[in-house]
Amino acid sequence: MEGHQRNLYLYDRFNARVLGVSRDDVTTLKYWANGLGITFPLLSNITAFLGASFDIQPEGQPIFGRRTVIIDKYGVIRYVRDGSPDFKDILLFLKKLNQEGGKP
Amino acid sequence: MKRKGLTILCLMLVVVWLSGCATTETPKKVPYRLSPQGTVIWEDEFEFMPPPPDWKLLRVEAGENDINFGFMRSDPGGFPSVTTFAYDEDPFGCTAASFEGREREFFKRFLFNAILRFQILERKKAKVVGGEGLAVTVEGKDPVKKEKVRAKVVFGRRGERIVGFYITQWRPMDGSYDLSAFDVFDKFVASFKFLKKSFYETL
Repeated sequence: MEGHQRNLYLYDRFNARVLGVSRDDVTTLKYWANGLGITFPLLSNITAFLGASFDIQPEGQPIFGRRTVIIDKYGVIRYVRDGSPDFKDILLFLKKLNQEGGKP
Repeated sequence: MKRKGLTILCLMLVVVWLSGCATTETPKKVPYRLSPQGTVIWEDEFEFMPPPPDWKLLRVEAGENDINFGFMRSDPGGFPSVTTFAYDEDPFGCTAASFEGREREFFKRFLFNAILRFQILERKKAKVVGGEGLAVTVEGKDPVKKEKVRAKVVFGRRGERIVGFYITQWRPMDGSYDLSAFDVFDKFVASFKFLKKSFYETL
């Protein structure tokens, strides 16, 4: 998340916005965001329906798997990667998407 | 018949040749080279004076894309007598634009696996990679494990982003620090140069 925060000025340049989604409750996320200095929105999804929608809800576990998803302005999922975010890859993809006019 | 035999022989030769290829080791690519001046050129991106030979190269896993490398030396004395220094493209912290702000963010997470009480020993402005920077020397103590660490963190700028250099020297609580290692670190930082724009500056 710190990495996304550091890159906010670049996401802005590429007309991209970032959202974090977690199963933690709002109070926990607020505390956590304040501690790290995160300013972009974090969504609390304790019922886990978003995780199920994006197929990142491991069965029987109270947390989501880590997945980065980029959705373009038409609502089309254009990029999906699992694990720790590859920030350089994400930035290059957003740059390309912005150049082709498919602003995310 | 002769022609058939020749074809079989040719096929066998190809198989042998290919299996020979499979056992040939490709030379391991190293990310650095030495310049005629004795400096290290790291991935054609950084240049610096290497530490003396008793320091081992430490290649940190590139977690979340930051470029991390450094050097490590085992020191005489009981566990955990070791000194490590590194360059970090993305030191802890993310929002502060000033060095002082980044310092506050950084020390929230620096050595967070160890439960340490940090005390700032010195904070001063520094010249880092040709620009302004901030150098902070701290000492952390873990009264439970009876260990201590002396660390120096140097913040500088690369384009719009803050980069960091840090050295940590761990000792048992009753051990004494070897400050000559900090001189080696200072020389490393003073010699450090960026040879090209960072990835982020090229976007």
